[in-house]
Amino acid sequence: MSDLFNPTEEHQVLREMVRSFVEKEVAPQAEEFDKTEQFNRPLFNKLGELGLLGVTAQPEFGGSGMDAVAAVIVHEELSAADPGFCLAYLAHSMLFVNNLAVNGTDEQRARFLPGTCSGELVGGMCMSEPDAGTDVLGMGTVAVEDGDEYVLTGRKMWITNGAVSDTEMGDIFLVYAKTGSRDTREISLFLVEKGREGFSLGQKLHGKLGMRASTTAELVLEEVRVPRENLVGTPGKAVKSMMRNLAIERVTLAAMSLGIARRSVEIMNDYARERTSFGRPINVYGQIQRHIAESYAEFMAGRSYVYHVAGQLELDAFGHRVDSDGVKLYCSTMAKNVADRAIQVLGGYGYVSEYNVERLWRDAKLLEIGGGTIEAHQKNMTRDLAQLDKIR
Amino acid sequence: MKILTTVKRVTDPNMKIKINADATGVVTDGVEYQMNSFDEYGVEEAIVLKENHGGEVVVVSVGPSAATKELRTAMAMGADRAILVETDEKLDSDAVARVLAEVIRKEEPDIVVMGKQAVDSDRNQAGQLLAAYLDWPQATFAFSLEVADGWATVGREVDGGTSTKRVKLPAVVTADLRLNEPRYASLPGIMKAKRKPLDTMTPDDLGVDVAPKVKVLKYEAPEERAAGEIVEDLDALIGKLRDEARVL
Ligand SMILES: Cc1cc2nc3c(=O)[nH]c(=O)nc-3n(C[C@H](O)[C@H](O)[C@H](O)COP(=O)(O)OP(=O)(O)OC[C@H]3O[C@@H](n4cnc5c(N)ncnc54)[C@H](O)[C@@H]3O)c2cc1C
Repeated sequence: MSDLFNPTEEHQVLREMVRSFVEKEVAPQAEEFDKTEQFNRPLFNKLGELGLLGVTAQPEFGGSGMDAVAAVIVHEELSAADPGFCLAYLAHSMLFVNNLAVNGTDEQRARFLPGTCSGELVGGMCMSEPDAGTDVLGMGTVAVEDGDEYVLTGRKMWITNGAVSDTEMGDIFLVYAKTGSRDTREISLFLVEKGREGFSLGQKLHGKLGMRASTTAELVLEEVRVPRENLVGTPGKAVKSMMRNLAIERVTLAAMSLGIARRSVEIMNDYARERTSFGRPINVYGQIQRHIAESYAEFMAGRSYVYHVAGQLELDAFGHRVDSDGVKLYCSTMAKNVADRAIQVLGGYGYVSEYNVERLWRDAKLLEIGGGTIEAHQKNMTRDLAQLDKIR
Repeated sequence: MKILTTVKRVTDPNMKIKINADATGVVTDGVEYQMNSFDEYGVEEAIVLKENHGGEVVVVSVGPSAATKELRTAMAMGADRAILVETDEKLDSDAVARVLAEVIRKEEPDIVVMGKQAVDSDRNQAGQLLAAYLDWPQATFAFSLEVADGWATVGREVDGGTSTKRVKLPAVVTADLRLNEPRYASLPGIMKAKRKPLDTMTPDDLGVDVAPKVKVLKYEAPEERAAGEIVEDLDALIGKLRDEARVL
């Protein structure tokens, strides 16, 4: 029964479980939380009860111990109904939980994974800054060693789950900061908890085009003191853990694109066989057929690429960069185009919220920017491909 | 307490059904399969019984080898072990009941909780036939179930209301929709289910002849219904019911 998208029976059971949970509990709330730009915390806690928040984390620390394909399945299914909510899920379960599960020590895992796997704590990851995004090594946040402590100062921007409401910040963050001089690659990774003196919510961002069911915030660090136990990995060497976590981040962001594309294809396909124009269902017209058929083919191409790459991705290893960038480069734009065609096929009905495709289209756009812009993927991939003579 | 529950692998009830060219069944190409939804209530109730009384939940399916997926799902929800009686034949309810009866004679559970019917064929017979073959009491269409001192008290959905029935165990109980809220198979549950035992046997091993007693002659789609209509007000509705539908 092996198939690329459900390589084992566990994957199949997982997909069905998430799909039925999504139909009953995620789909019905999506429109409202998009409109009000709020994070649905009770729903997030239900993901904890199902064991989804720690999908890849070690069972001894409250995780579910599954692989990258399982993570991809969960993201595809959640995103098919609510990409915004799924982005909050991704920032928590991939950028925080998986990051710490892979790069932390047992002591750090024991401190933070049980709470984040259950949903008691909401986590996020702080890499980007107001003045440094693609050029991440140009970050200005610094951490200065002081006895048994590090003192962190800087500003982090665009942090998903940075806030859990309009006024309250998230609970726990993995923060990248420079531990060498500003112009080196010496970056270290720190656990910073809400409530540490000097660590505050700068602003919760409002007016996002899409992904409005996830919060995005600016977090400010003003001489925040953290103990040495909060340093994750070797000081100065966090670029390696960053790259390792970026691989699964990009693959799951690509999986979110798949959810958006799949839903868009379903909606336009359904609509085109019911809607009549000039006395015939519109799916007999060649221009509509092109929208539907090309969308489906592109979706399946992207889906095959993502599951193929996820199947080879070992969460604690390196060296997947060409393809983890590749899947996101291809799928993010693919999903945006497919959602766009869905709007086109639905005409005026596609342009209003009732049929969901306008929301999917708005959400899809973020995937060309967050987790690396498509230009960044092109840059990374071409640099790596330049090392190759032949493609295996 | 030993609790036995059953699951059937059925076609996705939300798909649009198409009858095949020779009218012997429905088109199954590209169709998704899942656990019969009434069985989810049966499995949930079995697990609740175990949570309240201790013991073991055994889940049984009669069907193709692919039905191991539905059995794993039941084990991911909390069943302890599974038995697949493997057959690629399409069994009628009577054959299914006789197969289950043999499994039950071996397993000797204290109670059998199963879905009231399968959402694919909607025959609503297997539970009743099973109780008859075992010569056990039965309580169908359960919306509530209490077990104490070797008896089960079952609230039942019946035409025009509800009724309560007390049956001596062992007994067969079939589940209706209000019985409980089936849980999702959690991820830790899914990982645990991988290591739970799943035995496979065939109707032959059990000495059951599954040749059908019911012969399906032909499948036919129901006549297409005209679309509904939304009326302005109550008077218009009464008018339509009287003059067009002629039911008043
Ligand atoms: C909704 C949302 C959620 C986010 N969540 C998080 C989060 O949780 N954690 C986090 O750390 N970050 C997060 N981000 C930040 C995101 O990763 C950055 O926005 C992204 O990396 C781009 O950085 P930038 O916005 O600073 O754009 P810039 O890097 O300033 O880029 C501006 C433009 O220039 C292009 N460009 C830049 N450099 C090059 C180059 N060398 N060659 C060609 N073109 C180039 C870019 O592709 C882009 O088109 C989030 C962003 C958004 C919008």
